[in-house]
Amino acid sequence: MDLSAFEADNSVSCRLTSPVPDACRTEDCCLGIDEAGRGPVLGPMVYGICFCPVSKKEELKNLNVADSKTLTEAERENLFLKLDKAKSFVGWALQVLSPNTISTNMLQRVKYNLNALSHDAAIGLVQYALDCGVQLKEVFVDTVGPAEKYEEKLSKRFPGVKVTVRPKADSLFPVVSAASICAKVARDHAVKGWTFAEDLGEVDTDYGSGYPNDPKTKSWLLKYLDPVFGYPQFVRFSWSTAQTLLDSKAFAVHWDDDEEDGEKGAARQKNTSMLSYFSHSKPKGHSPTHKTHRFFTERRLQNVDTF
Amino acid sequence: MSGCVTVQLSSLNRADTPQLHLLPCEIEHDGSAEVSGFFTPAVKEHKGEKSVSFRGRGLRGQEVSCPHGYTGVVLNELQRPSSDEEDRIVKVSSVFHNFTYWNLETPPTSDDRIMMAMVWPKLADVIHAPVEG
Amino acid sequence: MTTKKTRSVPPSNDSWVVIAADSALESTKTHDSEPTFVKLRNPATGTASQYLFSGGDVRVYEMKAFTEDCRSWFIGQTVQRDGKLLYLTPVDPIFLLLPYMQSDGVEGKFQPLQQMVMDEHYPGCMRLLKCTQALDSLRYVTDEKMMDNLKFHRYNHEKTMEWLKKKVWNTVTALRNSDISVGGGVKSTTYVRVKQETLATEEDYLRYAHGLISVYISEELSKDLLKHLQLPEITSPKEVEPPSKKRKLSDKPVEAGEDYTKFNSADFVRKPPKKMTAAQKTLAKVDKTGMKSMSAFFSPKVKQEKK
Repeated sequence: MDLSAFEADNSVSCRLTSPVPDACRTEDCCLGIDEAGRGPVLGPMVYGICFCPVSKKEELKNLNVADSKTLTEAERENLFLKLDKAKSFVGWALQVLSPNTISTNMLQRVKYNLNALSHDAAIGLVQYALDCGVQLKEVFVDTVGPAEKYEEKLSKRFPGVKVTVRPKADSLFPVVSAASICAKVARDHAVKGWTFAEDLGEVDTDYGSGYPNDPKTKSWLLKYLDPVFGYPQFVRFSWSTAQTLLDSKAFAVHWDDDEEDGEKGAARQKNTSMLSYFSHSKPKGHSPTHKTHRFFTERRLQNVDTF
Repeated sequence: MSGCVTVQLSSLNRADTPQLHLLPCEIEHDGSAEVSGFFTPAVKEHKGEKSVSFRGRGLRGQEVSCPHGYTGVVLNELQRPSSDEEDRIVKVSSVFHNFTYWNLETPPTSDDRIMMAMVWPKLADVIHAPVEG
Repeated sequence: MTTKKTRSVPPSNDSWVVIAADSALESTKTHDSEPTFVKLRNPATGTASQYLFSGGDVRVYEMKAFTEDCRSWFIGQTVQRDGKLLYLTPVDPIFLLLPYMQSDGVEGKFQPLQQMVMDEHYPGCMRLLKCTQALDSLRYVTDEKMMDNLKFHRYNHEKTMEWLKKKVWNTVTALRNSDISVGGGVKSTTYVRVKQETLATEEDYLRYAHGLISVYISEELSKDLLKHLQLPEITSPKEVEPPSKKRKLSDKPVEAGEDYTKFNSADFVRKPPKKMTAAQKTLAKVDKTGMKSMSAFFSPKVKQEKK
């Protein structure tokens, strides 16, 4: 699998695609969606779709694709090669969400949660298949969340397509298994070949599985914690594992949208002027000795009385 | 004379010329930081607009230059005297001509207060220029 | 995932980021005295402000601090917690001398400067007597007389008014050549930013400039100057601006009693929303259940207080 497009800038989200088989443009098709790397605190999350003509479902099944989680890495690689060989009737596409994308979206002023992020990635991929002319009739989706709501949302979004959302769909529908293999292979490659945007010298790549409860992952997170910057972009800052470590071992950092208590929060509740917060002098009391002009207040410029 | 702070001009020649970044967050730390390890290499630039992330939050930045006729300096006080009455000495530890201004998620524009504040020196020059009779 | 964090009290500073007029830090061969920060009486407020003398005390500079909440610096390979940016800009020493010329027991009499410029609280004011260029300009605000090779000065109100008027008009010219918005707080209510110059009247400029000059003179002089400029006094700036119901932070005009401008815009509370980024647009389209409303984005400073 060629990940060079993602590796060129692994701080953003990236789409990787196979050629679209001609048969998929002329025949009714089924499509499976699955994800890989949702849980880990390290590396990207990958959304994958795989599609083939409905008439080729049996052939796909005969490739012996199975849920990627039940396979070894070598078996997955092997199956991916088989899928690649079947390119006359099987196509796939992937959305690689970089850990930086996950962090910055989930920690945005207006939080963009992981579910919304995943749903949008899935919808984007289905739309991509439609835009390529794939004659979609059936879509099968694996989900960890509530299936009905998601199914309803996707059905509304893609009228004319029969959408089936099921927990464990990756073990029920071969086309979902195939999608899960593509996604997992991409995730494995991305983690293995991770090039750090940071200049950290030799980095120990013994990350473990990337799952927060893996001792190897834990010790890696401790080893690479920087008291100012926290972590390289390889780490999902929005994971509570990372947050907890930073809260206890890194310097505190305050943002203007932090939930706050204390003086500032109280000042806001009382609806007092921001200026009184900024000028550390005593409350204004409208004394004629405190002159300023809006040129300065608008620019947050203050006199300096002590150096 | 009490409470004066003298700037040691000789230090100006030895001042370094570091890169400065004004961040949209308060870091509870004064001291060393691996800026060139973690931060600078991760900065992306596209058409003069910079982006990076810090602690998992997206930052958007822009270069801000010192106004014409003005220079940026970092003043440093090595040892603060114990009493308020004693004179103090600061040295010029750094010199800069521009810095990167970072906002949280929103690209800086001319409406940002820092950009507005940058007109102050030019206006001050006019307000305080000697008036001819 | 913002956790409630209490801010620790910052330690006293030992480092300052300053944008200084080149002349302030020029080394002079002829004078051995180095630039020195001195506290002087602020001519408008009567309280202490920080000034810098340089070039062997022939020039004075004032210090203003740009202070925004939640800011820190990276300076080379260090963090400076205090995110202030200081400006060192020239001050016309006449502004600093005027209060001494006008003080009780001095006004109306011819006296040598040394006897006028004395201040037990601010002994640094003696340095003003070395500001050679300013001393030449004293004839624009005082009557001068030579006796026994010694120069005597007497404050002249008419001259001072003329001198201040010129200052105001120079400022008006500078404002017209800038994109500083001098109009009456229109900006805060319109999303589209209009070029203020087209809306601002002559009087707007004049009042704005008068307000800026008033930051350097006593309240009495400021009022007299307003008359001299033939501008009627506006008694209550509060009545001019209709109260806005939308602003949550503070509808109270900032330092209303002391601001000499026509309108006391409170628009420094928040800027109008920017154009949505692509991600926000996507977000606006997708399912937002369980997410904050867009309005929360537009007023990010105003967090709903939880509990």
